[in-house]
Amino acid sequence: MPRKASTESQSSRDARSGVPDIELLLEKSHWLRRELFQMVSTTRKGHIPSCYSCNELLVSLFYGGVLRYRKGQPEDSSRDRIIVSKGHAAMALYPILADIGYIPTQELTEFTKKDALLRMYADPSIPGVDAISGSLGHGLGIAAGMAFAARSDGRSQRAFVILGDSECYEGSVWESAFFASHQGLDNLVAIVDRNGLAIMGRTEELMRLGSLEEKFRSFGWEAVTVDGHSHSAILGALGRLGQTGGKPLALIANTVKGKGISYMEGRSEWHNKMPDAAQTAQAWKDLETNCISS
Amino acid sequence: MATKPRLMRDVLIQEIYTRAGKDPNVLFMSADLGAEALDAFRADLPKQFIHPGICEQNMIDVAAGLSASGKTVFTYAMASFITARCYEQLKVALGAMRQPVAVVSVGVGLGYDDAGPTHYTTEDIACLRALPGVEVWTPCDEESTLEITRECLDRPAFRYLRLERPALPKIYDSNFRAAMSAGYCEVARGNDLVILSSGFMLHRALEVREQLRVEGIEAAVVDLFRIKPLASRNLTTYLEHFSHVITLEEQCLAGGFGSAVSEAMADTGLSRPLLRLGLPDRYFFENGGRKHVLENCGLGVSSISQRITEFLSPMARRRSSMPSVPSQTSF
Repeated sequence: MPRKASTESQSSRDARSGVPDIELLLEKSHWLRRELFQMVSTTRKGHIPSCYSCNELLVSLFYGGVLRYRKGQPEDSSRDRIIVSKGHAAMALYPILADIGYIPTQELTEFTKKDALLRMYADPSIPGVDAISGSLGHGLGIAAGMAFAARSDGRSQRAFVILGDSECYEGSVWESAFFASHQGLDNLVAIVDRNGLAIMGRTEELMRLGSLEEKFRSFGWEAVTVDGHSHSAILGALGRLGQTGGKPLALIANTVKGKGISYMEGRSEWHNKMPDAAQTAQAWKDLETNCISS
Repeated sequence: MATKPRLMRDVLIQEIYTRAGKDPNVLFMSADLGAEALDAFRADLPKQFIHPGICEQNMIDVAAGLSASGKTVFTYAMASFITARCYEQLKVALGAMRQPVAVVSVGVGLGYDDAGPTHYTTEDIACLRALPGVEVWTPCDEESTLEITRECLDRPAFRYLRLERPALPKIYDSNFRAAMSAGYCEVARGNDLVILSSGFMLHRALEVREQLRVEGIEAAVVDLFRIKPLASRNLTTYLEHFSHVITLEEQCLAGGFGSAVSEAMADTGLSRPLLRLGLPDRYFFENGGRKHVLENCGLGVSSISQRITEFLSPMARRRSSMPSVPSQTSF
């Protein structure tokens, strides 16, 4: 299938007005879903549903004027840090990293191929990737260390982490949640991709996670629940950054695993299953229209 | 009268404190293990001390983030908790992310007297040396502790430092620095056999050497203070001068110190009768303290001497040249 050309890469928040350009974000969302499906359907590697549940989270961060970075300069040590701690979705970063000039675009077609740059799970040998992923429960602690270092140096750098909701089963997440709160790391943002599914089924049936908003709040975080597929909702909540009274910020983003491909949505069995020819055709059909509208 | 030796942890922290006073990028994290020298560090450099909670996993992940941001980081806790408890963090966040963090453990082996299996660390060499990219160091006195600490400050790397809980007598004067790059040092001469050890057991090896001398056996004693990376070729070239090789450790034998030496010998083609002395494959619940547990395990000075003497006997020599037959049936 043909790739749709990416729109001009730029921060979509108008410098003068500070208002995010929702149209651009919608377009980026649509573009990212198609890029990712292209990567996965050609190499038959990767985890599409997990990427699609955090699709809007990444697009909002990179194109909604949230993350501070310079295009083409991954080595810039002052740029904000972003860790996709749910490592099976870290590949969702790759098209964005190509789009902002951190990695060559042709690398996308080489995803997981012999000796190629882009691996199934991201790690810092890939320009723009700030932590290794693939084992759950590390990203929040590593990001907390980065946020601590930035603050102790008097730098304005922030650290953002995207956690899976099932990742929050890992005890180390809560060790780090304790730490970030006690240290008052208000330059740290945890975004939980609350798609409600683990590999084996629904989180609330496997082992109840309950209200993650309440849990983070009880650990001393500023916590808010948002529609994780609405750019305006995500960006609205991230507007609290820097106004949390010294608390780290947690966004619980309610999402749909597999969002955008009809037969994958909310179905745990698609975690790492590959579509057959008919299913692939159906997916491209589904992806012709944008599933996101705000 | 000789001055009382200082605790290794105080030597280490005092040196870090001195450096941290001049360099705000030097940070010290303790998962709730104290030290006299740490009290001063916390009081004078509060911004450079981090208590990550009794959360060893968090400590290592946070250390990785700090290190990735250019900080020189020391992480510090009781040996059994900063190794097995957070092994996956060591592997992923420090090893695979290549973060030059110093991991300092206190009370290796049976160092936490009377505490039992939760506090004994009888597998840390086997565990840590299995991780690619880590250096594993075991100081045996103040001087070696000081120089290894300086190395961590001057050339940060992913290092695992195995400190003793009690203070140990002096082995080195100012000569440790010169031996550092080799990774081992002959601390006592002898021509009949060589005993390789480190840390607490190195001192025991020297006692064994004295006992063997009474019996007319001259044993060399080597401090193999860096078990990883092991200077295999140099070490086995040195070992070639001896007819028998003995390793002595306060670890279970599977994968530990003696295993590393035997691998070096096998890999470099050195064939010598090798006696690996260490702890049996079990957990240690018995009361009576470190000395008693070691006695129980055949690692008292007299027991070790006797085992070595037997090993040197003609019958044992014949046995060692035979194909592998269980020792119980070879007599």
